[in-house]
Amino acid sequence: MMWRVIEYSKNDAFMNMAIDEAISEAVAVSAPPTIRFYGWDPTAISIGYFQCLGKEVDLKNCAEFGIDIVRRRTGGGAVYHDGEITYSVIAKESVFSKDILESYRQICGCIIDSLALIGIKSEFKPINDIIVNGKKISGNAQTRRNGVLLQHGTILYSVDLDRMFSALKVSDEKIRDKLIQNARERVTSISQQRTVSWNEAYEALISGFTKGKDFCLGDLSDSEIMRAKDLAKSRYMTSEWNMMRL
Amino acid sequence: MQFEEKIAGGKLVCIEVWSTDSSTADRVRISGDFFLHPEDSIEDIEDSLIGLPLDSNEGAIEARIAKSLQKRDASLIGVSAKDIARLFAKAVSK
Repeated sequence: MMWRVIEYSKNDAFMNMAIDEAISEAVAVSAPPTIRFYGWDPTAISIGYFQCLGKEVDLKNCAEFGIDIVRRRTGGGAVYHDGEITYSVIAKESVFSKDILESYRQICGCIIDSLALIGIKSEFKPINDIIVNGKKISGNAQTRRNGVLLQHGTILYSVDLDRMFSALKVSDEKIRDKLIQNARERVTSISQQRTVSWNEAYEALISGFTKGKDFCLGDLSDSEIMRAKDLAKSRYMTSEWNMMRL
Repeated sequence: MQFEEKIAGGKLVCIEVWSTDSSTADRVRISGDFFLHPEDSIEDIEDSLIGLPLDSNEGAIEARIAKSLQKRDASLIGVSAKDIARLFAKAVSK
């Protein structure tokens, strides 16, 4: 099986989610299994499929700081996308374990292998996290549709917790400082663990994700790009989608 | 009426129930950072609880949720039908 690896590029939040979906649709038909690395420009927050946007995101601060907000088609929690590397793995369901937890473990294993290459010892924490010395360094989310498994997730490279918490809503403003302090104790990043350049971290991720796989570097097809543009406009940019579940 | 809880395993689940006659559920919303495949079966679960007497026991609530999951061959991850039933019962008893 030959995998396609799409190298890192930045898009806005709506295109990022649309591209993952367009690839999933293509893989369901004839496209090769795909590993994609990407970033977010502008900075964005993605919320899980089952979350209420108003409860999770400080809309006023996001508007003020120019932070995009998008609902994912995967479950899980709200993620602040800045100072991290995002990946997606998209393949026929049969490539991975039928058992959902086991398939999280399989794909998260690629991240654990990647981090080991840059000297960071990490472990899988079910359901969907990877931790280093008890602190979260990576969050992941998976969906399966039409026989295709999509898992995307982030690996923190460096994170500005003050800015992150200005964009995410906290249940009680009086304890915002405490929450940031708590987050400092619960969250870590590659930069906090080791002095490693962004490029070294990215190269390690490519190595970890492609270990034991036949692969070639590739691009999105024209039809995937067209479909992604259509999905961004018709779904991911719309308030019907993003404000769903109010 | 609502009840929110970080359940064992760390996922946050919030159940909101609306009732105009204070005896049966008119609308239900289940939100949080859990997982459910396929995702759109959440609406089937919510719909399955509409019309449910608010004084139903947890077993009856769980049975409706389980039936709805079975119908769509859906899988909850990070939360169970039993958890949702328990939170529903707590929401309406407040």
